[in-house]
Amino acid sequence: MNRMKVKGKHVILSFVCLVLGFMLAFSYHLTQIEKQKEKPNLSGKQYEKTLTLRNQLIAQEETNRKLQKELNQKQDKVQKNEKNLAKEAQVYQNLAEDAEKYRMYLGKVKVKGSGVKVTLTDGAYDPKEDNINNYLVHEHHVFKVVNELYISGADAIAINGQRLTSHSYIVCNGPVITVDGIQHPAPFIITAIGDPDVLSSSLNLTGGVKDQLVNDNIIFSLEKESDITLNPILGS
Amino acid sequence: MWLPFMGLVIGIILGLLTEIRIPEEYSNYLSIAVLAAFDTLFGGIRAYLQNIYDEKVFVSGFFFNIVLAASLAFLGVHLGVDLYLAAVFAFGVRLFQNIAVIRRILLTKWSTNKEKLEKS
Repeated sequence: MNRMKVKGKHVILSFVCLVLGFMLAFSYHLTQIEKQKEKPNLSGKQYEKTLTLRNQLIAQEETNRKLQKELNQKQDKVQKNEKNLAKEAQVYQNLAEDAEKYRMYLGKVKVKGSGVKVTLTDGAYDPKEDNINNYLVHEHHVFKVVNELYISGADAIAINGQRLTSHSYIVCNGPVITVDGIQHPAPFIITAIGDPDVLSSSLNLTGGVKDQLVNDNIIFSLEKESDITLNPILGS
Repeated sequence: MWLPFMGLVIGIILGLLTEIRIPEEYSNYLSIAVLAAFDTLFGGIRAYLQNIYDEKVFVSGFFFNIVLAASLAFLGVHLGVDLYLAAVFAFGVRLFQNIAVIRRILLTKWSTNKEKLEKS
């Protein structure tokens, strides 16, 4: 009986001890963890190392910021330069287009486009007419057509495939005409690049070029062409 | 006799091995509870040495003091009064007193034992 009582006492006491031990250990454990969180075991050397590293980091960040600012400035410059370049490019493009246009006018390049084709043929032989000149195509007829075409905005004109330039000349030379020193017999095919509608209507004006030529007994035919190619002038 | 020690060791091992994390603001209560447990333990030892030990008083006091100290600290935190200081003070003073009493009793016992040995 007595022994039983002692054992019961011991059991209760051991339970109390268990609770105490648990609490002690738990508290100790917890404090240790907190300490580790607050300052993870810094010795003097480590502290110095951390300090130097931190200083290095700060210096690095400062230089980074400086470089960042510099970069921004440089980027601004680059943007300005790019804008300038774009402007210049546009100017160059315009210049190139102009050059192309002027080359076309000068007859230095091959030109392709829509336009009209005018054929001037000598009139049929008429025994009633004494003078053969009355039904031949003369240089002034060709002049009329060419001038009319230029006035109505033709970009390029060729006679029998030979391009005309700003300093071309046309001379009547008997039954043939000479264009820039090259003789061309009738029929004369005058091809012009430009707006076909404008060119044809300007030639077809009442009392205009067509009527005048027809009055001179010349066979005048006008065709609109969608695709005309004019070769450049050789040797100029 | 070895049972209480075994309990202590098992308790310590359990406490070290548990991976339970309690929030930091509750660690205060735990320390107060530990203090209360110490106080009661030493009180119990003193009572045992003075032959006025009562198991019911000891066990009930042990748990009740722990709970009371923790709840007092809890109440103090929520009222904005540092009541846990009162608990620390009271338990601390009692702890030292109890230890002092234990020391004296042990000293007197030791000296009387020595005298007895010398006489015999």
